[in-house]
Amino acid sequence: MKLRTSRRSFLASTAALGAFGMMPGLTGASFAQGASVLRLRLDGDLEILDPGYMTGGTEIEAQKQCLPFLAQYATTEDGFSWEPTYYVTRLEQRDATHIDFELREGLVWSGGYGPLTANDVRFSYERMKDSDWSGYFEALDHVEVTGERTGTLVLNAPFAPFIMITLCHGPGAIVCEAAVTEAGGRYTNQFPAVCGPYTMDQEPGQRVTFSPNPDWTGPAPAFDTIQANIISEVRAAELAFDAGELDCTEVSADALARLDADMPEGTSVTVAGELQYMWMGMNTEHPKLQDIRVRRAIQHAIDVDSILAGAYSGTTAKSHGIICPGLIGQRDSTTYYSYDPARARELLAEAGVAGLELTIRTLNTQERMLTAQIIQANLAAVGVTVSVLPLDSGSYWEMGQESAGDTWQDLELWLMRFGTTPDPYEATSWFVSEQVGVWNWERWTSEEFDRLYDEGIAETDPDRRADIYIRMQEIMEETGAYVWINHEPEAFVHRSEIVVNAAPSGELDYRRFERA
Amino acid sequence: MGFYLLKRLGLAFAVICAVVLVLFSLLYLIPGDPATIALGPRASPEAIARYAERMHLDEPIWRQFLIFIGNALTGDLGVDVFSERSVTTIVGERLGFTLALVGLGMGWAMTLGIPLGCLAAVRPNSWLDRVTGVLSVSTIAVPSFLVSIWALLIFAVHLRWLPAIGAGEPGDVVDQLRHLILPAFAIGLSWVGYLARMVRASMLEVMGETYIRSARAFGLAPRRVVFGYALRVAILPTITLIGMGFGGLISSTVFAEIIFARPGIGKLIFDAVMARNFPIVQGGVLVATGLYILVVLISDLLIAWFDPRVRESL
Repeated sequence: MKLRTSRRSFLASTAALGAFGMMPGLTGASFAQGASVLRLRLDGDLEILDPGYMTGGTEIEAQKQCLPFLAQYATTEDGFSWEPTYYVTRLEQRDATHIDFELREGLVWSGGYGPLTANDVRFSYERMKDSDWSGYFEALDHVEVTGERTGTLVLNAPFAPFIMITLCHGPGAIVCEAAVTEAGGRYTNQFPAVCGPYTMDQEPGQRVTFSPNPDWTGPAPAFDTIQANIISEVRAAELAFDAGELDCTEVSADALARLDADMPEGTSVTVAGELQYMWMGMNTEHPKLQDIRVRRAIQHAIDVDSILAGAYSGTTAKSHGIICPGLIGQRDSTTYYSYDPARARELLAEAGVAGLELTIRTLNTQERMLTAQIIQANLAAVGVTVSVLPLDSGSYWEMGQESAGDTWQDLELWLMRFGTTPDPYEATSWFVSEQVGVWNWERWTSEEFDRLYDEGIAETDPDRRADIYIRMQEIMEETGAYVWINHEPEAFVHRSEIVVNAAPSGELDYRRFERA
Repeated sequence: MGFYLLKRLGLAFAVICAVVLVLFSLLYLIPGDPATIALGPRASPEAIARYAERMHLDEPIWRQFLIFIGNALTGDLGVDVFSERSVTTIVGERLGFTLALVGLGMGWAMTLGIPLGCLAAVRPNSWLDRVTGVLSVSTIAVPSFLVSIWALLIFAVHLRWLPAIGAGEPGDVVDQLRHLILPAFAIGLSWVGYLARMVRASMLEVMGETYIRSARAFGLAPRRVVFGYALRVAILPTITLIGMGFGGLISSTVFAEIIFARPGIGKLIFDAVMARNFPIVQGGVLVATGLYILVVLISDLLIAWFDPRVRESL
């Protein structure tokens, strides 16, 4: 065959090929237009759906659509609370250690595994005590089955947050005893049986599709089908939303600021919660920071407001402790410091410190790096020279752990952010004495703090719990080892005709989405 | 030829072993305990111990290397420690997407770049040559991730002519092709420049050869002289370049795969490195290396097929 070409024919043919791809008629044809299809983002493949061995996050989202739960989060004017799910007709805390439940009649597992029973609840929760998520079930002694659909969760000691942090959260998912046993006792990326409005189908690396479950007898969700597209980068997801290919996605601080300033028509933003707390930590045992006056001077020298404006575009809430907005015990001011560079200089002079050089370690993300640089400038203004050491997540997350080498001895300053569940208990758990060298990298201990931690767990009166957690944060701040920075929101941009439902910690609950 | 092929296959095996060895060393030189990173900062000691055992992390590194090579020879690339799925299956699921992307990206670059290079060489110093020169250097200089973002913003976000994310509906070839256009454009653009420059330089050299002058003197049509005689010889170094480029693109499509949220080998390896998911990293790199070697081998064989002088020297 002879190749016949000319410049003119070549240019014409390539232009024609390009035009073919860009034909608007062809383009529109593949976009999801169905009124009952909701297009969302997942940040990665679903690896392990077994509640006992999951990595969390996206897997919890999948469980919420396909598995039963006894309780679910509710948002009230005062903050976060819980309510029984559709799966139960009764969920009551009889006393401090007994929670009675009655499952709704007529709910069945897919695959012919029969009805949802109290034995499934017993199996699901008692197996969790030996799982990777056993910490959430330490308080559970056993599940007493009193009837086919009734039973009691018996706790081994009063544990006030059990319903909020365990039953409402991913580990509280109920699995089908028969199906899981048949699967060998545990499973990975496919549910052996579902009991919810959706079934799940995965195309690895591309999307997870939640389709109507033919065996579901409960109320139909607002959207027939959920297309959860795997998009690892949040900024790529934002572009996909802008291109009209997603109906809802998480947004970064930058995008949130842009949307706050200029919200496009037909677009809304929903903030699920602000259950992340970020602070700058100081190693109280490091020779350069052993003097409380030096640590207090650093607390006074840092202008948190400029960090919130410069690194987070004003989209995050200022922090005054580790208890996040909407939770019992949140503080609205600091007790021991405020931004006061003059006082910082006085304290350094009192301590006889001059020419202090420190290193601040941080994850190498954009916002954290900017935060570290602002801190660097703030401390330079009071005569402290700071070097910024960015780290990848691998090195970062073990730098204060004694089990991972000797880096903890060199730690001076660092930026840290933890996420938490909607109860103050978990946030305080990382700072008790036994956590020194594990997650308490500031390396202080307090008998009063440890005692209050135990009291906070057992206390059921909200006002008294609030007092306990406020006092615990005062103790932390008094050590001089913390500069509270912010609480980042879990924010979602979405079409205005959609009402988003998300857990306070950010996991979407597709079955509870509504049409506006 | 048969001996040559055997020699190349032996060399390919040695290269793969070397790559895997370097990979093993690098993975263990990266700071951070693999088990802690993979399972997250709050994993229990029991979970970390189970992970280390499953990954053979408690074995000496030389033994881990031998275990991996031994299994790989039987087609077993191990098991993903999270999903417990076969690595061969996981890599296989992604491989087709990457090959399609690389194939289309390099394909359109060849379709445009080679004729542009020929036309520029046929009319040196003409306006076409000058425009081609400027455009070639420009496209080479712009990073492909930037092209990806611009293309996405213009054609998907602003004009909404083309889809922004994903690989298209399974089974719908037209939809899948449409999802390929922007990423293939992004990764292929710089190769248009490379190929145009390469072909132009080779063609200019060949066009000065005596046999080309003879062909012209015999009155052959200019098109036949260019495409039938000159290009056949001038294309040889370009084939090598295309082979290396094709192989390199297999793992370097990661930016396009992340920006356009497409499944693929590059993104799979990238995510696995971040999660210290060793079996996926090792399996993915092994397959990418094997493909690279295969493509380079094919390009060498093509050159031998085109050029009798090379064939006779084998």
